[in-house]
Amino acid sequence: MSVTTPTAGTISRPDLARLLAGPAADGRLVAPVRTAPGVVLFAPVRDPGALTLEYVNSTVSPKGCLFPQSEKILGWRGGGPKLDLYSPPEPQPLVLFGVRPCDLRAITVLEPVFGGGYPDPYWRRRRELTTVVGLGCTEPGPYCFCVAWGISPVAAPEADLMLTPVDPGYLVQSQSPKGEELLRRSGVSLQAAGTEPAVLRERRTAELTARFRRLIDPTGVEAAAERLFDHPYWRELARRCLGCGICTYVCPTCHCFNVIDRTAPDGSGGRYRCWDSCLFERFTLQASGHNPRPTRAERLRNRLLHKLSYHRSRYGLEGCTGCGRCVAACPVNIDITEVVADLKGMMT
Amino acid sequence: MRGNPLWPYLATIVKIVDETPDVKTFRVVLDDPGARENFRHRPGQVALLSVFGQGEATISISSSPARRDYLEFSVRRVGRLTGVLHQFEEGYKIGVRGPYGNGFPLEELRGRDLLFVGGGIGLAPLRSLINYVLDRRDDFGSVEIIYGARSVADLCFKEELFKVWPKAPGVRVYTTIDRPEYGWDGHVGLVPAYLAELAPAGAGKCALICGPPIMIRLALQELARLGFSPERIVTTLELKMKCGIGKCGRCNIGSTMVCTEGPVFSLARLQALPPEY
Repeated sequence: MSVTTPTAGTISRPDLARLLAGPAADGRLVAPVRTAPGVVLFAPVRDPGALTLEYVNSTVSPKGCLFPQSEKILGWRGGGPKLDLYSPPEPQPLVLFGVRPCDLRAITVLEPVFGGGYPDPYWRRRRELTTVVGLGCTEPGPYCFCVAWGISPVAAPEADLMLTPVDPGYLVQSQSPKGEELLRRSGVSLQAAGTEPAVLRERRTAELTARFRRLIDPTGVEAAAERLFDHPYWRELARRCLGCGICTYVCPTCHCFNVIDRTAPDGSGGRYRCWDSCLFERFTLQASGHNPRPTRAERLRNRLLHKLSYHRSRYGLEGCTGCGRCVAACPVNIDITEVVADLKGMMT
Repeated sequence: MRGNPLWPYLATIVKIVDETPDVKTFRVVLDDPGARENFRHRPGQVALLSVFGQGEATISISSSPARRDYLEFSVRRVGRLTGVLHQFEEGYKIGVRGPYGNGFPLEELRGRDLLFVGGGIGLAPLRSLINYVLDRRDDFGSVEIIYGARSVADLCFKEELFKVWPKAPGVRVYTTIDRPEYGWDGHVGLVPAYLAELAPAGAGKCALICGPPIMIRLALQELARLGFSPERIVTTLELKMKCGIGKCGRCNIGSTMVCTEGPVFSLARLQALPPEY
């Protein structure tokens, strides 16, 4: 992401509501909302007062704004010898507010998957139409470990507009033309920061990094994972896995999908792309009955190694961003940070 | 939608051949003349077929690229989508995306003697290459084909297997069925055992194999014993795929995506992968 004329400065807390008022009134704002005690989700917000700023991170990652859980990719009319295809309606422009740095990094992690040799037009269009407003963290949660992957908890280059909390308001850094546009339209003017913005961010990064309690060092885990591919460890770990797939649904970087057709009684229908999970038995089950990953041991190993090794060897990018959601959500306490420590421990 | 790799070309089924009680070959022609012109595959590549209402399935292209007027897909009726496809008639519309994958290593094969080892519907991807070799006969050395199925009825491509290929210059065809059958005076036995019995010399030759996973596994061992080098034993894997373009995450073996980096692998490459196929 190129930063041509970086605009930086501070805004007050009331300015934040003004920044988001326009998109909210237009029905274009998606922001964190507390939907139940302990549950924060990204949802459409009509009134900036309805969004919450009191969250460590959302329960489910906001990746669905760019890669929806279920998305119509084509439609057809007719059948048999007479059939026509048509495109689904264009997605709407969005302002996605409140994305944490771990989830911002996830956009970079997913870029080569949906880009690459066969660019995915659905992802591309949503990327173009979405203005991403990042919001730096104020406190690491009990499951957070983004700093292990070299992520700053207060800033990330993927956001069009990055907000870093600095008492009493926010340091705002515009990082793209879309960010500039949002600022300009809101009429909110930035105040000169007392300290150089980069210095301010560095200071906040250092302060917050020191408060993380889940400390892991993933250096070398890729090599360990490769060496220990056949180790009984995976079978042992998978004995408690339920195969529920919650880790993949909350994950900001899981991108596996299924493609499902739905037909109306008149024969017309639509093709939908839906999130899927490599932990499900049918994920790799072939029509013949053959299954390359027949038990939970192979499936759990596949998911963990995708995060810790495969994504990196394919794209040169870490597949995990340390958001900690899979650790928090797992009903049987399978913990990727423990897996990293175990694998490295077995190598020493 | 132009430039959309998930958007299938509409195609019309122009001919259906009953190969076996559960295999049909669908000859299709892409409706759009431009797409027809641009669709150029290599033997061993695959396509995603859409049966609208049922989704998509990865099917190898079983026709030779040298025959440009149509594409052929030989499909075994084994699940939901293929069950519906088998009820289709000539004139029906399907969708076709592709071609995907690497295909057979033609440069490596050119000028060499070739041994094809196939089992059941596994002959479909090999057929594309066999017919390509016959269409470009002078570019390749001798051709041996060892092929087997459960029964005579289950042998695919009978017309080519018994009439066309044995008459082609420099081609020998060895056919076997799993169990003795009234009226069959050919070989009886499993493909890997027949391969061991025939014991073709491996030196300098390329072996191309496809069949059920267990046949592939045993045939690979046998070929290694016969002196085929791991670089010149080539097989084609067909894992479940939803996109064919490296995104849906279903056909990975370790960090390798079968859809974009396969489906054709040499034994040497396979040996470097985790055994998840």
